[in-house]
Amino acid sequence: MSLSLKQRFHRSRFIKGEKATDKSITLSHRRIFILPTQRGLGFVILITLLLLIAFVYNNNMVYLLAFILASVFFVTILHSFKSLAGLVLTQGHSQAVFSGEAAGFDIVINNPNNVQRFNLQASLDRTVNFTLVEQEKKSITLYAVTQQRGWHNIDTVTLSSTYPLGLFRAWSPLRFAAKTLVYPKPNIEEIPFPETEVDQAQEQSPTLANKKTKGSDDFYGLKEYQAGDPIKHIHWKAFAKGQGLFSKQYGGESLVELWLNYDQTPGNNDEQRLSQLCRWVIDAENAGLLYGFTIPGVKLEPGYGKAHYEKCLQALALF
Amino acid sequence: MVLDVNQRILVFLLVSIGLITLPHINHMPMTVFSFFSLLLIWRFVCVWKTNYLPNKIIILLLVIVAVVLLYTQHKGFLGRDAGTNLFVTALGLKLLEIKKERDLYLISYLAFIVASTQFLYQQSILMAGYILFVCCVLIATLVSINSQKAATVSALKTATLIIFQALPISIVLFVLFPRVEAPRWMLFNHQNTAISGLSDSLEPGSISRLGLSDELVFRVKFAGKIPPPNQRYWRGPVFSWTNGKRWTESKNLFFKKNQHKVTYTGESYQYTLMMEPQDKRWVFALDMPSLYPDSVTKNALYQLINKDNPGKRAAYKITSFSQYNTGDITKTERKDNLQLPSDPSEKIIHLVTQLQGFEAPAERFIQSVLSHFKNENFYYTLTPPLMEENPIETFLFDTRYGFCSHYATAFVYLMRVAGLPARVVAGYQGGEHNKVGGFLEVRQANAHAWAEVWLKNKGWTRFDPTAAIAPERVEQDVNIDLQIATGLVNFSPANINVSRALSWMKSAKQLWSGIDYSWQRWVINYSTVNQSKFLSSLGINNISSMVQWLVASIALITCILAWTIFKTRQTKIAEELILYQRYCKKLARAGVYKKAGETAINFSIRVQHLRPDIAEEVKKITAIYIRLRYEQNLAKEDFILLKNKVASFKA
Repeated sequence: MSLSLKQRFHRSRFIKGEKATDKSITLSHRRIFILPTQRGLGFVILITLLLLIAFVYNNNMVYLLAFILASVFFVTILHSFKSLAGLVLTQGHSQAVFSGEAAGFDIVINNPNNVQRFNLQASLDRTVNFTLVEQEKKSITLYAVTQQRGWHNIDTVTLSSTYPLGLFRAWSPLRFAAKTLVYPKPNIEEIPFPETEVDQAQEQSPTLANKKTKGSDDFYGLKEYQAGDPIKHIHWKAFAKGQGLFSKQYGGESLVELWLNYDQTPGNNDEQRLSQLCRWVIDAENAGLLYGFTIPGVKLEPGYGKAHYEKCLQALALF
Repeated sequence: MVLDVNQRILVFLLVSIGLITLPHINHMPMTVFSFFSLLLIWRFVCVWKTNYLPNKIIILLLVIVAVVLLYTQHKGFLGRDAGTNLFVTALGLKLLEIKKERDLYLISYLAFIVASTQFLYQQSILMAGYILFVCCVLIATLVSINSQKAATVSALKTATLIIFQALPISIVLFVLFPRVEAPRWMLFNHQNTAISGLSDSLEPGSISRLGLSDELVFRVKFAGKIPPPNQRYWRGPVFSWTNGKRWTESKNLFFKKNQHKVTYTGESYQYTLMMEPQDKRWVFALDMPSLYPDSVTKNALYQLINKDNPGKRAAYKITSFSQYNTGDITKTERKDNLQLPSDPSEKIIHLVTQLQGFEAPAERFIQSVLSHFKNENFYYTLTPPLMEENPIETFLFDTRYGFCSHYATAFVYLMRVAGLPARVVAGYQGGEHNKVGGFLEVRQANAHAWAEVWLKNKGWTRFDPTAAIAPERVEQDVNIDLQIATGLVNFSPANINVSRALSWMKSAKQLWSGIDYSWQRWVINYSTVNQSKFLSSLGINNISSMVQWLVASIALITCILAWTIFKTRQTKIAEELILYQRYCKKLARAGVYKKAGETAINFSIRVQHLRPDIAEEVKKITAIYIRLRYEQNLAKEDFILLKNKVASFKA
């Protein structure tokens, strides 16, 4: 992908970076920008002062020192470029978060060359410092604060370095096509689960009607752990004794079937209701209940486990 | 951002600052230097005991102390010495107040300035090397500030690399950057640190020990032939007036306009005279100079006088002739050079009569005086007895121990008594030939005094009475090596056992002198004139072509530098990695992709789950790959094994 002249000199390229991509990005002269830092400008003043001393005293050695420092300044530009050039950045996984939490984006930085990269700084909302040794691949997580539910697109990631002398800062603004799902913020207030309407459930699944007695969660035995069993039900004592993983079985377990219904959720507006629903989903999952879920447009049959839980939250996020 | 100032960085910085200020111990007032040392040591202790750091009030007090100290020392802050002290003190004070990363930078920059002030005192090649080393340490400090983990050694390595990469461009800048002399008003007055050479008077009787210093006074590079040692008389001040003890230059030199023109004959010598900084304006030309640059004048005593500041190294192109005739003598000159402090004593008259001073022709008399020195018990010594009263008579009749000044003054005195105009000439005699540099080196130890007598039809003629002393009467503690080399004492060569053991030391010394000479000639003395001369020899005549050359050569060097810096990037990817990638590609074709960030082991476990049919192969390949990649002892068999396995691998 080549750039037109106009694109090349567009201001946003230096700050926001080029168009977002989901491919890996190799840092080259096109993406690396270098400007002197404040300290670098101070260094220029130092050189000027030395030249002045050399001029006034007509001293060739001071001239030479000033020239050496000026050349060091100049050579540092090349080193600054070298501190970033060749790095390959790839977007990694991103974990869904609840609104208001910081979303973490993984970025894999690969140093394919035989040079060490000192003091690299990657910044999104906050800055992460790290060092890469020769041919090292490192995954770093950058966090961005989320405010709204739904898909959250990653902002410009800036990779920079002031190595070796701090006189120049080389930076590279990068935009990835990575996005993360932001769930609604769970309501803080504790509101009891809605009463499930027996009739409705009976109509839907009459065979289950007799099992719907609440509070009959008496422990009646252990069974071998199977993937998907709630973690809360694991018999940890047995596990600690080295007897293997077992799940505790409760008498009324499969009988509790909770329906979380949008229409029955208290709240003044959509967001509040979604927030409450979110809270209920979390609580139900933690309690190890069977819960079904209906919001306008989406209906999920009762279930439990991580996959079901995430499906519910995703539906809430994208409502 | 409040930086957690790393102790290692601090130690690094403090050590480099200590190294930078150390040479200043020679020329800073003791009080200021001790004040600075105190601050430095204080800060050093505080690296480990941070609670000893001064608070704001103490810092303020220290600043006041510093200002008072500086003001009492120099009554101001401008000028070389005052400025140096100011920068050093400011550096010391700033050390106690390191709060942010910015402060570290400010301190480093101040340290660079202090390093540069060192050159205002000394510009030798050794000092240059030392400062370059210290700058390396300072830059290493900056490197370690900017790299989180860099160890001391690797920071030093990086700094050295950067400086070496910077050298070509700085040399180009040094050669091509236009040198403009600073206007006079900008030059601060500063005391001369020039070496003290010959004094402007001669008082042989009051000296009981003549120091022979090895210090260099000037160097001479001859364009053609080099004069033989006995012709190497470097003319300095001429002393005619005496009160019997002390000899000085006559005050009145206005007779110059009445002097005859000097006629030159004999061998002509063209040479460049490179003077070390002096405290006087004397330029020691080979006797007798005929052509000389405009920056010097020749006075009535045929001595070259520098018009400019003598406190700097300077080079002069001069032509001298070995034979000359100064022609007639003016009235003033005759009067000056026959002057006697009082009537000569009986003893003197008797001696002159005895040596036929009053009847024989001048030349005969001179010869008999020289023979007198040779045949009587006259000794050459550097530690003569003090002769406070009547030194000439004491020397001639009693002690008979002395060095060149004793002989020259006594000789001139006898001439004057006999009615011959005579005077003492001071300067240097001889000079050591440096084979490496191809020049003569004249040192303080070559200082000499001889006599000049005015003879009819010949003009002023040089006589060296010291040379007349019998060699066996030269005192033992005279540094034979030095004296022979300078030709100060003319022994017959058979008498001298040249110490061979010292010869290699001598050649090493000469080699060093040669390097030092080139350093001075090409680096330190690279002035406006030298630059334009050198550049026009390259065909660079004006500013615009200078700039073109500058840009072109910097561009060229940058290209070469960029190539050397970046070529390391194109290193070969390790072979095992290529093989592993080939294996991954095969899997990808079968629909199994390696995720970004997934380790080889995790990937292999996943593949084993997904494709139990190839689990065994996958396991093996991964194991060999990991062994090759992460274990130190590489086995050649493993490479071949991996290669074969990957080749035969089918997903």
